[in-house]
Amino acid sequence: MTLLTIPSNREEGWRWSDLSALPELAEARPTGRVPDELPWIACDREGPRLLFVDGKLDEARSTLGPVEIGAVDVMASDHPLARLAGRSGWQLKLGRDHAPHGLVQIVHVSTGAADHLAAEIALDIDAQASISETYVGEGWANRLTGIKLFKGARLMLSRRLLGGSGFVSLNDQADVGEGASLVVATLAAGGADSRLDGLIRLAGEEAYAEASAALLGRGRQRHDANLVIRHDVPHGTSRQVWRSVADDRAGCSVAARVEVVRHAQKTDGEQSLKGLLLARSATINAKPELEIFADDVKCAHGATVGELDRNALFYLESRGVPPDEARALLTRAFVADALDRIGEDEVKAAFYENVEAWFARIPSPLAGEGGDRREAGGG
Amino acid sequence: MTMLRIDNLHATVDGKLILKGISLTLNPGEIHAIMGPNGSGKSTLSYVLAGRPGYEVTEGTVTLDGEDLLALDPHERAAKGMFLGFQYPVEIPGVSNVQFLRTALNAQRRARGEKELSAGEFLRVAREQADGLGLSMDMMKRGVNVGFSGGEKKRNEMVQMGIIDPRLAILDETDSGLDIDALRVVGQGINRILRKPDKAVLLITHYERLLEIVEPDFVHVLAGGRIVRSGGHELARELEREGYGAMAEAVA
Repeated sequence: MTLLTIPSNREEGWRWSDLSALPELAEARPTGRVPDELPWIACDREGPRLLFVDGKLDEARSTLGPVEIGAVDVMASDHPLARLAGRSGWQLKLGRDHAPHGLVQIVHVSTGAADHLAAEIALDIDAQASISETYVGEGWANRLTGIKLFKGARLMLSRRLLGGSGFVSLNDQADVGEGASLVVATLAAGGADSRLDGLIRLAGEEAYAEASAALLGRGRQRHDANLVIRHDVPHGTSRQVWRSVADDRAGCSVAARVEVVRHAQKTDGEQSLKGLLLARSATINAKPELEIFADDVKCAHGATVGELDRNALFYLESRGVPPDEARALLTRAFVADALDRIGEDEVKAAFYENVEAWFARIPSPLAGEGGDRREAGGG
Repeated sequence: MTMLRIDNLHATVDGKLILKGISLTLNPGEIHAIMGPNGSGKSTLSYVLAGRPGYEVTEGTVTLDGEDLLALDPHERAAKGMFLGFQYPVEIPGVSNVQFLRTALNAQRRARGEKELSAGEFLRVAREQADGLGLSMDMMKRGVNVGFSGGEKKRNEMVQMGIIDPRLAILDETDSGLDIDALRVVGQGINRILRKPDKAVLLITHYERLLEIVEPDFVHVLAGGRIVRSGGHELARELEREGYGAMAEAVA
């Protein structure tokens, strides 16, 4: 018997979700098989490296630096997945003006079962860090991350979902203080399904928050995101850039909301949700939401779903670019908006390599064994 | 040997017959101009030759170096040395000119079994061609045609043509939207890149002015989907003087 309670599609926040694979993964035993090649990003300035296998730190292959392992202060008790993540995991607490030496890299390997882990990032006044997390393997990785940025702190958090199959569920609970900056950029370019949840609060004036993601799906993959950026004080700026690409019978769904409370005047919020259908059988849902109670704000939102521009395709082909390459070039350009905010060149290049690799695997895995996994459960 | 042979070409767009039997032969070293009023089928001809989807050939043949051109996909036609200069060049945000052209050039070279150019070699060629047409490398690094004025887009077509260095260019109203100075720059670019004994040009234009810079060997008048008259450069001057109306009437 499983203790896992899966939310119903009747709940608005889960209407496009397909969590039917989770009970089985929750009961499965991990194989413990770690790939020989791990997706570390070679950097000029090497920083801490953490390897988690099925949610447990592999100490021999990790260099912690300022990162600690232990109890973390983060809660999401009302979220059906995040509450499973527990209250222990990794922790990056930086004192005033501090920064880790180089990029903090975290690789999560899931080996066929479910693993849960929490994390806490707390940056004191003017501290800054760049963290890049990569998810690989074939199980269910469930994560809850608490983020607190004090005055003037800056955090760049980049994430790659590259697992061959399985599921990745991430939940961020972030507070962005006065003049602080949080940029979260996510790329889903593997075979795993995903669910991204987040609540980012702009808690101090002049705070900046950006959430962007490129979600690439093929076969019968499902990517599903539900993000809220809440402006609790005046003079905050937020940006959301979501780019979904769906091929075959894949589905990408994004619900992204901006909330502006009554006194959060001079808020500047923008969200852009764009979807690209590479096949007529694919699905993209875009649900931009604005909830504004202040009267002096600038909020813009746009949502479009379409196919590749035929004129652009013909233009490229007429210059000699073969059709597959032309489609890849245009699709890469389409997702660039979401990935270009990544700060480090090495990290950005690694993300784009993963985008290229995603295209290189055409023809689709729909015909392969992984793709039909949930056919019976689909509906 | 003949480069391009068009024989009794009929083509439809959205089921409507636009080209009604065009025959035309281009030999290496020749520049042919096609003139004609709006709606005569000039752009349709260029799109049919380049293989644009939606343009259906219902009758007739086109060969390039004796090979059936119509059986090839657009990118294969390009690899055979054909280049289409667009009347309305397309903007492609997020893809830089440099990236686009290097991808295009190397795909063509691959298809022909030639060695691909390295980034450094490519940039040298690109800079040379951009300089020749007064576009900065800064512009070449921006998104394809994004934020370019009408004239800059047309100059960019010529930069692309210079980099790709085709054997056969079909230039669809490359002169439209150009001021006199830009027209001269573009015209000189065409001469520099294409006036060679092993190359041929099909120059589609409304106006005689470009032909004063790019001297055509032959001028054809297209009206109602057919070539109604052919001649030398003097035919273009006659059209400039008397307009298409008189000629269309004379033919009818």
